[in-house]
Amino acid sequence: MNLNQFLRQSIDSYPDRVAVSVQDRSITYRELADAADGLANNLRRLSLGDGARVGLLLENSIEYTIAYFGVLEAGLVVVPLDTSANGNTLRFILADCGVKVLIAQSHFRRQLKVIFETDCGVEVLLCDSIPNFGSRSLRALVFDRSLQVEQFDVSETTPSLKAPEAISLCRFGKLHELAAIFYTSGSTGVSKGVMLSHLNLVSNTLSTIEYLNLSRDDRTLVILPFYYIYGNSLLLTNIACGACLVIDNRFMYPETVLNTMEEQRCTGFSGVPSTFMILLGRSTFASRQFPHMRYFTQAGGAMAPEITRKLMHAFPNKEIYIMYGQTEAAPRVTYLPPQRLAEKLGSIGIPLTGISVTIMDEQEHELPVGKTGELVVSGDNVMMGYWRQPDEEQEVLRDGLLFTGDLGYKDEDGFLFIIGRKKEIIKTGGNRVSVKEIEECLIANENILEACVVGVSDRLLGEVIKAVIVLKPGIELETKEILLHCRRSLADFKVPKIIDIVEALPKYQSGKIIKHLLKNEQHEV
Amino acid sequence: MEFEAGKIRSEIRAFIVDSYLLGDESVKFSDSDSFMSCGIMDSMGILELVAFLEQHFGVTVTDDEMLPTNLDSVESLVSFIRSKSNC
Repeated sequence: MNLNQFLRQSIDSYPDRVAVSVQDRSITYRELADAADGLANNLRRLSLGDGARVGLLLENSIEYTIAYFGVLEAGLVVVPLDTSANGNTLRFILADCGVKVLIAQSHFRRQLKVIFETDCGVEVLLCDSIPNFGSRSLRALVFDRSLQVEQFDVSETTPSLKAPEAISLCRFGKLHELAAIFYTSGSTGVSKGVMLSHLNLVSNTLSTIEYLNLSRDDRTLVILPFYYIYGNSLLLTNIACGACLVIDNRFMYPETVLNTMEEQRCTGFSGVPSTFMILLGRSTFASRQFPHMRYFTQAGGAMAPEITRKLMHAFPNKEIYIMYGQTEAAPRVTYLPPQRLAEKLGSIGIPLTGISVTIMDEQEHELPVGKTGELVVSGDNVMMGYWRQPDEEQEVLRDGLLFTGDLGYKDEDGFLFIIGRKKEIIKTGGNRVSVKEIEECLIANENILEACVVGVSDRLLGEVIKAVIVLKPGIELETKEILLHCRRSLADFKVPKIIDIVEALPKYQSGKIIKHLLKNEQHEV
Repeated sequence: MEFEAGKIRSEIRAFIVDSYLLGDESVKFSDSDSFMSCGIMDSMGILELVAFLEQHFGVTVTDDEMLPTNLDSVESLVSFIRSKSNC
C-alpha cells in the first residue's frame, strides 16, 4: 500500500464520482487519474531519478491535486510549499532539499522572480488551467531563469494514459520510502524539512478515516491550504475513501464560504481555532442550519474551551472533533470523541488506532496518571526524520519515539491534556513560529541592540507574537520601521503583532532574560 | 451623512497602505484590484478593515454584508460606503 493506491482504489470503485470541486469547475476520479498519469509520464521523461524532489507552489486547486498525485505516481517526492512565504524563504527550501522541478501557478510570479534571481537549477512548470479533461492533461508552461516563457503542452508530448497502462509503467514509491517533505519552523530558527514516508502518511490517513467515519458519501469543504499538513490530511483522507473535496479559497469573506457549505451540501468542515473564532464572532454561521453537515474538526493549536462551548451550543446535533497532531506525526496523534466532548472539555482526547502516547519525565521514564511530563508518540505515523538536520532530529526522535515538546498529563480514563510547551515555539493562528528566527531577524537591524520575542495569549489566534526591543544608544526608530524590516524577510504570519520599545530588558543575575515578565504589558501595533 | 467618492477612495487607500503594506508604497494596486487575489490582506485583515469602515465612516457592516462584492477592492468599498451612507 502506498499513497498512490488511495487514488487507484477510488478510481476502481467510483470512476465517475467528483473528486474535487472548485466553484464552477470539477474533476472526476477518472479525470484526476488520467491527468496525474499524464503529468507522471512527462516527469519521468525528464529523467530526474528516483526520489527526486518536486516542489508545489500552488494554491488549493484541481491542479494541486493532479500535481500531488502525478509526482507521487512518478516515484518522486512531493515538497508542498507555503504560498504565503516570501521568495527568499522558498529559495532556501528549494536549495535545501534539492528540488529539481517546481510546479507553480503564475500568480506567484513575485516569489518566482526572487527564486530565479540566482541560478538555482530548478525547472518550473507553470499550470494555470486544464483546457480539457480525459484526453488532455495539464497545460504546462516552462520558463527559464529570465522568465522567458516557452509553451509546453504535456498532452502533446505524451498522450494521456489509461489507468491500467499507467500502473504498469509506474515506479510507485515503496511503503518505507520517502513520499513528501513538509517544511516547518524549527526552534533554531532554520526551517526544517520533515520527511514523511508513504507508510507515515498511509497509516495516519487510514486511522483518521476510521475515527471520522469518512465515506464516499462525504463532501468536505476545504479552506485550509494543502501545503499545510492538516490540509494535506484532508486531501488524502477524502481521496482515499472516494469522497468529494469542495475547495473554497475565499475564507477572507466567511459568508461566501458559508454559502458554499450550504449550496454544495457539505458534510464536513475543518478549521484551526481562529477559523471557528471568526465564524462564531463575525458571520451568520451559528444562525444557519447546514442540514447536510455531519461533523466539524479542529486542530492546529489549542482552542479556548469557551469557543468549543459556543460551537457545541450552535450545533448540538453535529459531531465536533477536537484533535491534536504535529507535522512530525503525519500529522494526527489524538482526537476527542464527540460523545465525550462535554465531559472532557479541554482535553486533546485519546490516541488514534495504531498510535500510542506516553507521558515521560526528563529521564525518559513513563509517568503515572495525573503527572505532568512530555508527550511522547510512537507508531507508524512517526516521521523518518528531518532532512539534513541530524542535531534537531536527535532532539525529537530517539529509538523511533517522537518527543513532541508538548507538556501534559493523562487522566484516569486515558484522556490527554496539554498544559504547555518545552520549546521556544509560538503557535499563532495554526502556524508554528520559531522565536529564534524572529529574534535573529530583529537583531539583523543595525539600529536594534537587543530583541526578545514571546508569545502572548490571544482569543483569536491562540497566541500572538510580541517583540520587546532595546534600541542602540541615540537611535530613534518607529515601530512601523521595525515592522517593515520584519516584513522584508519574514512571512506575514511571523511578523510581530505587538512591539514594545524599552530602555532595557528584565534579566536574572545570570544575564538570562526574564521572559515571563515580558508577556504582561502590551502595546498593540 | 454622505461622503464624497474621491475622499473615501483616498482615505481607504491610505488605510490599506498604512495598515497592510506598512507604508510601503512600492507595492502597487489599482482601485479595481481584488484584495483577495493580490494577497494584500487575509481573513484577519478583513476584520480590521471592517472595524476601520465602521469607526471612520460611521457605517454598520452586518455579517451578511461581508462579501467580496462589497469589500474586495477600493472601488467596491467606495460604492459600498456611499450606498450605506445614503441610507
